[in-house]
Amino acid sequence: MDSILPAFARILVAAAVCWLNFILIDLFFRLPAGGGVVGATAIGTHIERGGGAIHGGYMMGNIVSSPDASAGTLLASCGVYIAGIPGGLLATFLVFIGNRICHDRGYAGTTGAITATFIVWGFSQIGFSPAEFIAGMVIAILTIQGISHRHSSRLLAYLWKVREG
Amino acid sequence: MQEGWIAVNNIALMAFGALAIIGALLTIVERDPFRKLISLGILVGGSVPFIVDRGLLDVAIAVALIAPLSTIFILMVCGRGDQ
Amino acid sequence: MTPQEAALAVCAVIAVYAAIRVALEPDTLRKLPFLNVLSFAVAGSIALLIPHPLSIVAAAAYFVGSTLESNAIASTYAGGLDRRE
Repeated sequence: MDSILPAFARILVAAAVCWLNFILIDLFFRLPAGGGVVGATAIGTHIERGGGAIHGGYMMGNIVSSPDASAGTLLASCGVYIAGIPGGLLATFLVFIGNRICHDRGYAGTTGAITATFIVWGFSQIGFSPAEFIAGMVIAILTIQGISHRHSSRLLAYLWKVREG
Repeated sequence: MQEGWIAVNNIALMAFGALAIIGALLTIVERDPFRKLISLGILVGGSVPFIVDRGLLDVAIAVALIAPLSTIFILMVCGRGDQ
Repeated sequence: MTPQEAALAVCAVIAVYAAIRVALEPDTLRKLPFLNVLSFAVAGSIALLIPHPLSIVAAAAYFVGSTLESNAIASTYAGGLDRRE
């Protein structure tokens, strides 16, 4: 058995990898451009009213109201943890169905689940455990949605400005 | 090792029990119906891991699908009474 | 401490933290991102508690259900605000 510190250090590395995966895919599929449904737009305006930035608020509202790349990363990590690559692909299929239920086109969630399946499988070949990626994804979503809405929405709006050029 | 697993498992289950209690108390305290429904979401989130921990995965799937559906039915009433 | 135990402990602690933040947030719609963090933590710990193929389906069902609930609450709340104004 390893000692406690390397386990938590590996969880932090996994959190950084998951953070990059879902932020890059969400930015690529233009989630901060606007609210996908009425509820996402309302959450964005409320976050802006609380001192945040509007495009970051739209992206956080979209994450709340439809399974996007972050949900795909989490469920694909669960699938790879339980059943390897077939489990990850089953999780991808379930994310696609969930997107359809929530009236979303679902490309961001499906793409995020597929890339996360292969990323987590690759890291499991070099000594990481997929369970650490589940905890890492929970930490990654905590940094976006759970610490300070004002600062995280400003960070997301800055990244969106960079992506727009 | 087996002892350590049981201890950590108990800590996690205590955390989920605290989640259910927080959700129940918050549901009682809140006045706005929307805030009450959000608190009910916390309550369901605290109770599903107990069903999973006993191995009843089919029951957990059913509960996880039925609870949001009942919330949506209650929301129809809330939206109409709100006007 | 195996990776599974460490990950389960992290998920449980974050779930309780998110529940406390939901309780303390005054704005109704800004409670929903914290509720989303909570459903991430619970969905992760469902898969960590029992490593069985059906628990992938259970975690996905719980997550999609809670997302649908948040979506419905936010849409109804926003629609109510629009009708009032």
